[in-house]
Amino acid sequence: MSANTATATETQAQPRGRVSKSPTRLAFERFMYNKAAVVSVIVLLLIIFISIGAPLFTHLDPTHQYLMETDAPPGGVHVLGTDKNGFDLFSRDLYGGRNDLLIGFVDTIIVMAIGILLGGLAGYYGGWVDSLIMRFCDFMLNFPFLLLIIVLTSIFNSSGVWLLIVVIAIVFWPPTTRLVRGLFLNLRESEFVLAAKMAGAGPWRIMFRHMLPNIMGTIVVNATFTMANLIASEAALAVIGFGVQPPNPSWGNVLYDALDYFTLKGEPWVWLPPAALLTITILCINFIGDGLRDAFDPSFEK
Amino acid sequence: MGTYVVRRVLGMIPMMFLITVFVFLIMHAAPGNAFDAIMNPAIKDIEQLKQQLEHNAGLDKPLWWQYVHWLGLFVTGNWGFSFNHHVPVTQLIGPAIRNTLILGILAEVLTIAVGVPFGIVQARNPYGKFDYTSNVVLFCLYSVPFFVFAIFMIYFFAIDLQWFPAQGSTGTGPGAGSIGDHLYHALLPALSLALVNSTVYSRYTRGSMLDVSRKDYVRTARAKGLDEGRVFTKHVFRNGMIPIVTQFGLDFGSLVGGLIITEGIFQYQGMGQLVIDAVNGRDYNVIMATTVLIAFGVLIGNLLADILYAVVDPRIRYD
Repeated sequence: MSANTATATETQAQPRGRVSKSPTRLAFERFMYNKAAVVSVIVLLLIIFISIGAPLFTHLDPTHQYLMETDAPPGGVHVLGTDKNGFDLFSRDLYGGRNDLLIGFVDTIIVMAIGILLGGLAGYYGGWVDSLIMRFCDFMLNFPFLLLIIVLTSIFNSSGVWLLIVVIAIVFWPPTTRLVRGLFLNLRESEFVLAAKMAGAGPWRIMFRHMLPNIMGTIVVNATFTMANLIASEAALAVIGFGVQPPNPSWGNVLYDALDYFTLKGEPWVWLPPAALLTITILCINFIGDGLRDAFDPSFEK
Repeated sequence: MGTYVVRRVLGMIPMMFLITVFVFLIMHAAPGNAFDAIMNPAIKDIEQLKQQLEHNAGLDKPLWWQYVHWLGLFVTGNWGFSFNHHVPVTQLIGPAIRNTLILGILAEVLTIAVGVPFGIVQARNPYGKFDYTSNVVLFCLYSVPFFVFAIFMIYFFAIDLQWFPAQGSTGTGPGAGSIGDHLYHALLPALSLALVNSTVYSRYTRGSMLDVSRKDYVRTARAKGLDEGRVFTKHVFRNGMIPIVTQFGLDFGSLVGGLIITEGIFQYQGMGQLVIDAVNGRDYNVIMATTVLIAFGVLIGNLLADILYAVVDPRIRYD
């Protein structure tokens, strides 16, 4: 009923020179309609804020070992106590988010860039370019990727995150590349691509100005889920000791230091907050991805 | 089919070769080796001992020579000695493979046994209350990283209730090493892997069953008077399983990854734990042997999934 009146007013308004809503605007409105997604955006922004603004909440250094106060319970100077190495847990939980989110964001951008470039080339040109890129993809997909990460991170045994970011990007680009290739393949024979070709547009222009905007929705949705996956993967590596290396904090390596009988049994304040932060972050990103999917593709599951 | 399998298996050889070359190079690029860690005040000249050990292991030779030497021995079944455990690599790998297979198969069986029926129940009554609430719950569960699950499992079932062991792959005492003992130790890690994965299978099963049940031939089956149960088992179920089998094949690599991490968390003595220890201890022969086996496992798993795909979907032909 209300939808009918809405379209009626819109068609009435049209002749008076009102511009109809752009697809982006419509997608945005649909996204705002999805309550879980909107709440997730707020929660995620909050988590980003407490990570970036960590110095506002604690003046303690997350990389400093308070050797006289190991295994301290919550309270006093150490809001969440200290772990068995004497690291202040509250500051590690806050600052740790910086590394997790940094890895998530930067790696998503790198993975998407590689995926769009290689997938686009493979899908647009086809032929030997396609087979070359896809064989390389297959090789990377069959490679025992965790092993590669484990070996590479232990080689350059540094506490910096940038190496880890590069390694994770190397490992995670193939699925996205495959997806983008499929999307480009679908569009390759479309009329508008042919029209662009006949108008004399070069391949790069066709790929990035004509085809890419058409599949941007799917790519953005995929990017969101990829980010959730990347953050979970980094944390999984850290939990067995191969992610971000201490003293540099991350939620995963706080968990790694909590994996012993006494900490698990008697000191839930060590492992509960990072586990909760990780889960909430990933949950929020997934909900946002879900909302974006509904926003870009209203026909999906509706 | 036969020629297809042979061709695929032959195709694995260059792939395996490339993987071993890569891992070999990366491994030797890592700083330090297994003998750097020797610290014993009783030894007077550690430097000389180190050189002797490195010479015995062939580490002072050029890299290409080491690789060719390793490859030559490896294909003839001589997988070398572990630098750190001082036993043949094959002796370490045998029980590790057995443990990992127990864990992996148990996890996969649990995943499918929980995920697929759940998806079917959802698809039988779509867009209802149950479907809607369970979808939300599954979506939330899916977002919980499996290692967080593992930690909670250890906390509740191993530490609090003490129903299951928190770590290890076998117990001590008279029953140690029996099938029951193995399963008992594998159940907790397998569950933590399976619970999260099963949500993926539920979603796929539900989606694919719904897709199929909208097909014309299903309507035909109903129209000719077939009862709902038979429509489901004969027409919907089998066709709906095709994407699930594909998913199974795609998942194989990540299952192996998940196994490595789960073994690390539970200190479960399988291939994953062996890899982690070997990398940490720069145990070159163990790293190479485990890499080859893990890569081989992934490749065989993908091949099996492709064959299975042809079995469930007769339209697929590999000629």
